[in-house]
Amino acid sequence: MLDFFAIFSKGGIVLWCFQGAGVTESFTGPVNALIRSVILQERSGNNSFTHNALSLKYKLDNEFELVFVVGFQKILTLTYVDKFIDDVQLHFRDRYKNELEQRGALKFLLNNFEFGDDFHRLMREAEVSSKAKAPVSMRNFNESEKSKKTVKSMIETKDGDKTKEQGGKKSKNAKKEAESGGDQAKAASQTASKKAVENGNEGLTQEEIIERNRAKFISKQLGGGKAEKPSKSPKPQKPKGKANRVWDMSGKSIGELDYSGANGNNSSDAQNQDPDAIAEPLIQVDSMKGDLRGVDYESSDDEDEVVQEEERVVVANTKKGAKKGGFGGMFGMLKGLVGSKNLTQEDMEPVLDKMKDHLIAKNVAAEIASQLCVSVAKKLEGKVMGTFTTVASTVKQALQDSLVQILQPKRRVDILRDVLEARSQRKPFVITFCGVNGVGKSTNLAKISYWLIENGFTVLIAACDTFRAGAVEQLRTHQRRLNSLHPPEKHGGRPAVQLFEKGYGKDAAGIAMEAIAFARNQVFDVVLIDTAGRMQDNAPLMTALAKLIAVNTPDLVLFVGEALVGNEAVDQLVKFNQALADHSRTDKPRLIDGIVLTKFDTIDDKVGAAISMTYITGQPIVFVGTGQTYSDLRSLNARAVVSALMKA
Amino acid sequence: MENEKIHVDLEDFSEEQFMESFMREIQSEEAVFILGILVALALVILTVVFFGNFWGSSKARNAVLLLGLCDSGKTLLFTRLLLGKFVRTQTSITENSTTYKSKNDRGSSWTLIDVPGHESLRVQIVEKYKAVARAIVFVVDSSIFQKDVRDVAEFLYSILTDNVVAKNAPTLVVACNKQDISMAKSAKLIQQQLEKELNTLRMTRSAALSSQDGAVGGSVYLGKKGKDFEFSQLPNRVEFIECSALGSKGEDGDADIHALENCLAKI
Repeated sequence: MLDFFAIFSKGGIVLWCFQGAGVTESFTGPVNALIRSVILQERSGNNSFTHNALSLKYKLDNEFELVFVVGFQKILTLTYVDKFIDDVQLHFRDRYKNELEQRGALKFLLNNFEFGDDFHRLMREAEVSSKAKAPVSMRNFNESEKSKKTVKSMIETKDGDKTKEQGGKKSKNAKKEAESGGDQAKAASQTASKKAVENGNEGLTQEEIIERNRAKFISKQLGGGKAEKPSKSPKPQKPKGKANRVWDMSGKSIGELDYSGANGNNSSDAQNQDPDAIAEPLIQVDSMKGDLRGVDYESSDDEDEVVQEEERVVVANTKKGAKKGGFGGMFGMLKGLVGSKNLTQEDMEPVLDKMKDHLIAKNVAAEIASQLCVSVAKKLEGKVMGTFTTVASTVKQALQDSLVQILQPKRRVDILRDVLEARSQRKPFVITFCGVNGVGKSTNLAKISYWLIENGFTVLIAACDTFRAGAVEQLRTHQRRLNSLHPPEKHGGRPAVQLFEKGYGKDAAGIAMEAIAFARNQVFDVVLIDTAGRMQDNAPLMTALAKLIAVNTPDLVLFVGEALVGNEAVDQLVKFNQALADHSRTDKPRLIDGIVLTKFDTIDDKVGAAISMTYITGQPIVFVGTGQTYSDLRSLNARAVVSALMKA
Repeated sequence: MENEKIHVDLEDFSEEQFMESFMREIQSEEAVFILGILVALALVILTVVFFGNFWGSSKARNAVLLLGLCDSGKTLLFTRLLLGKFVRTQTSITENSTTYKSKNDRGSSWTLIDVPGHESLRVQIVEKYKAVARAIVFVVDSSIFQKDVRDVAEFLYSILTDNVVAKNAPTLVVACNKQDISMAKSAKLIQQQLEKELNTLRMTRSAALSSQDGAVGGSVYLGKKGKDFEFSQLPNRVEFIECSALGSKGEDGDADIHALENCLAKI
């Protein structure tokens, strides 16, 4: 039933493989896809992966550097696969322990790993064990435990009066049904009556539960002091009279409760109220006086406060964690210094928790930090540590390696080269900027056009932000400034930057299309499309953005995100990608191709947003914005960011 | 008697004085004494360092790196070079390294390292081994070269402009693999295309943005300024050869790697 099973070394050499009967396709493609998208992107937390019609499960053996992969059809739900992989792994290790303990890659090549017989035996065992569990049939009344209980045993004192009565009633009914085994059941139940089993609601049917709830509701209405009065209770409760409701403050007379005279007086309450009431309008008036603060500044303030609160909470947690970890860490250090040992989950857990808190304190999104830690644990489980290395140092090194791995771009990032390529094909290179409100799209668009002009390209800016007041004027100001910095005389007579705009209120996708056609006619090298900022939850606006990208197929779709964002980054990117995928009509939708990380100068070393964004999308960070002047544009240095992240 | 007395006195006196005089001697010679010890220590350290460097340098650079993009056939080439037999391979996650006895008269042996080609891994692993590289075998997939020329050139550029590699100037062998496929490009064509691409990259990479802490990557300029880039302008010895790790007969036959083996023998 399995399509294939492969055992290969982490260096890529297949040691043994099995292909199910009738399977013609080679497994190389799906397994490569598994490696590239799961293991190399540090998503090893969940150990299953689907590729077209196949479902793949895998297991890493870190001691001998092996990978075990099994593939089966997605529509089959095989329950024995997890246990099966574990069994196969243990068998393989035990059988080839001697060969695998040699050093060097030759061990994989020289030895013949004839595992077929063992494998088939294990597979047969696994299939048999999964079939052995037949579905459990329902017991009839005689076999059930209820029939063995007497009425009396189910009677409780005081609280559960009615339940026992009703339970007793039920067994009386049941007794009528089971006449054949009735005598035996009675005898059995009487002998087994010693058990003081509390039935609770289990002995009641649905209707009886409803009756009881109704009784409760009615009793609540009538008064709190009354005990629950079930309708079927044989013993009538003593009806209590209606008691007067007693309020806390009711000791005082009516006169004291009348505060109407205090409104104009100088009583203590009024004094506190009035300054507040007067102060409120004062605050509002003052805040609007003077220069208006920019949108960016306020939002970053809020973000800072939120981050600080998170930090405080996180610091408290880390202190607790550190205390626990300190004690365990001492032992771990001693153990680690002596001889080589295998890393187990328990060893790594305190260190990983501390690292997770540390990452969260550095502004990495919470769920990404936990996924990363789980993935690092999977990678290190069972690994043999050398002497004089502690658990903490091994885990830290592994985490550092995986962070650098995440930040390395998965594809070539060279915008200038791509622009040259497009120029040689006589078409403009189109870049679209999208993002939520206020992240710095227009500012960074201007910086990027300055960089492109410096390198001798002509740029057309398409003002597709037709919503925000002043968006077009902002871009026109940038255009004028850039042209004054690079006068047209130096660029062969034509202005280096031109603005293509159609005013406000028009359809953004239409303006973009016209801009690209204009650029092609006038032989512009690059077209930069500026879109309006939009929240990721705003469905109509997301649809409009998806339409713009689907219709115009830009060469590069850049998501602009600020470095201050915390857990929001995950939500923004997921929803943006989702919208782009949903509303594109092709089956290969254009998703976000790159990330521009802005406002990098506002964070000191809390650079976690870079990790969150690259982890979620798998796309590289193409530009980093570090200020508001034209020269504040950088590229990402993975090592520097990771060292800032891991710095204590 | 006086003499004897004096003699006795002198003797006594000299015994007591012996210690004091000894101490005085040491104290007077202290400076010289300690200076001598220091000079001796320094000499020892210098010799150790000198020999360490000397030995280290001859021992250090004895690795041959197999580099290339993903799926270019490095792992299969690795096994073919070592044992001549065929194995199925998957994308490598870690590097494979082993000692290789080259087929030349001297019978020298060095370490052959197969570096994974995946973008997220290659940078870190190259960092680890670049200092010990005596030669670099850059494996290129000849059949899809046209499509990947920019990626291939960018990887090659990043290796050649690395400071450590540029200083050591290891031999560069570009192995145009997968020649068994009919659409494969010849080594000459690949060389011309790479030269053109690296020429363009020289210009765009030098104009690239500096990274956020001000560091500019790789300040090495390939080739000669003002002239089009050619591999002959590099200080390294460069060779382009064709090979096929799979071989014309596939799994059963031998691989077509004689040219590569001859090249490696010359290292």
